[in-house]
Amino acid sequence: MGMQVNVKELLTQLYYNRNVIEFLFGNRDSITVNELLGRDDITAEQYQKLINYEILYEHQSVVSVNDAVIAMFEDFMEIGEVTPGFISDYINELKRHIRYYQEGRENRFLRSIKKYLKRINNAISREIIKLQKNVDDTYKNESNYRIKLQKLEDYREKRDTIIEFIRKTEDVVDETRNLFTLTNDIELYGIVGVLKSSLIENLDYLIEIQTDITDYINKIQFQLDVYKKAQRIKEIKDHGELHYKTNFREVVKDINPIGFNGHKSPRTKIPIDFLFTDDGYMLCQRVAEKYKITRLMARRMADKLPSDFKEQHVENSVRLDTSALVDKFLSQNKHNLFEFLANYKFPKAIGNITFEERITLFVEIVLEYDKALDFKYRLQYYEYEDAEKRKKKLGYTLILPKKELKKEGKKKRLAD
Amino acid sequence: MDYKLPKQTHEIFSIMARGHFISSNGTKDNMGKLYDIINNPENFDHFQEYFNIIRYKIERGNNFFYFSKLEETNSIIEKKLETFEKYIDIIDLFASMDNKITIGSRFRPSEIAEECNANVRLKQKLQKIPLYRSETLSNKVREICDLMTRDSFLEKEDEVSENYKVLDSYSYLMDMINSIAIYEEPPGSENAGGIIYN
Repeated sequence: MGMQVNVKELLTQLYYNRNVIEFLFGNRDSITVNELLGRDDITAEQYQKLINYEILYEHQSVVSVNDAVIAMFEDFMEIGEVTPGFISDYINELKRHIRYYQEGRENRFLRSIKKYLKRINNAISREIIKLQKNVDDTYKNESNYRIKLQKLEDYREKRDTIIEFIRKTEDVVDETRNLFTLTNDIELYGIVGVLKSSLIENLDYLIEIQTDITDYINKIQFQLDVYKKAQRIKEIKDHGELHYKTNFREVVKDINPIGFNGHKSPRTKIPIDFLFTDDGYMLCQRVAEKYKITRLMARRMADKLPSDFKEQHVENSVRLDTSALVDKFLSQNKHNLFEFLANYKFPKAIGNITFEERITLFVEIVLEYDKALDFKYRLQYYEYEDAEKRKKKLGYTLILPKKELKKEGKKKRLAD
Repeated sequence: MDYKLPKQTHEIFSIMARGHFISSNGTKDNMGKLYDIINNPENFDHFQEYFNIIRYKIERGNNFFYFSKLEETNSIIEKKLETFEKYIDIIDLFASMDNKITIGSRFRPSEIAEECNANVRLKQKLQKIPLYRSETLSNKVREICDLMTRDSFLEKEDEVSENYKVLDSYSYLMDMINSIAIYEEPPGSENAGGIIYN
């Protein structure tokens, strides 16, 4: 025997255990007590409490939520089994209250009449939506053929029942039209108006559903027939008579999908350029491995960059602060730019700076700091030894610091 | 020249030119989406016009599309006969199962193998289907599923659980069976009346 509960308590319990309720609602009739208690969100004590409230039931160690709760959720979400019985109950209630009103003409009966008219309208719409969903669902997901056919037939019956209720409702409304007119109640007129138009609309939906059901049943029937035929053909085939007793050969001859006619998908050659990319290399290697061709495996990808590659790079660029170098050059007056760079003693941390690198630096500075430099547009020559110890002579433009123009010039002339 | 083709044209071509079907209930390679794109009447005409130039024709089935070749005689009849004789064997097996496999059904090869194992007639049917790697029943069923997936009648939904789904293109096979005419049907064999041999 369950405990006496009030709405507030019930809501509290449902809310407090909302995770469990949701879980059980999502996995109806498949969760055992042990599975449930294995979850973190419920203790044995709470579980017992829910049993006492009759929110949960336990049957052969399978836990299920109270049908009333499930029905409430399903009704709200417009899912679940189609239950046209409700409509019938509402119609009977409506009739009853109409009778009372005919006797008593009291407002409270009129209120009930309005309530049931609205309920009937809602219930019919809801049942039709559910019917539509269930029909689709059955056709798409029910794997057992016979059950599928049966279910669809059942839905066809339910559809007929709903149509019957719509007719009944229409009759009731028609019969009591005079009574309703007498009430002179605007709200009632409105409700009846909405009900009537939605009944017509709903009839249309039902006709559509009927077409769907018939269509589905036909499709299934077609498949069943084809399967029967397939078995018959197989029998003929097993007797070795397939080519003589049927037009199998002609049918197959006309089969036109390219897949069955020996068409291979169009093939293209790989562009040579692609083979030189890293992706191309991977492809070559896969081919080489497959066919054991060592020649193709010879070419390797570049080694991985050292992990500190970036830092090294950053370090160098910080140390080789060209602007500081230029400042130093500008503040001296002994050398022209080329000589200055060629002889400059770079800090040890940077490492050895080769002659080539110094030339690069020269060009860089010339391009970047041309404003601060005095270009003499005269060539000078510099003699040096290259890697093979051959004597070489390099011509360069004479460049001096701008502010020291005169002095430098004099000195230069002396040097010349 | 502007054919007003959707950007998925290449995808569609590369699937269908491989000889595969594009089914509305397929999920791999965006299949369902591609189906909708071809099915759009505006696109369909453009596609047809475009592919006709390279002698492909889009053929429309019940919720699926495929390519045929224009003005070409279908020559390799022997190979085709062999293929479709095999399909008769397979469909006969499917037809004899308790849970009929049909468009939209999902199944695992192990389920079929189990049912075949429990039923001598089914077992025999399965064993007689001419395939090669067939030491065990379940391998044989797997091989059948592979074959049908290659021909794009099935789709492997999940590699791990080996769940297969029957695609809309399966109705091509149904139509093929349906169009076979049986001559001089002996009297009385037509009265099976809704009962499927099982």
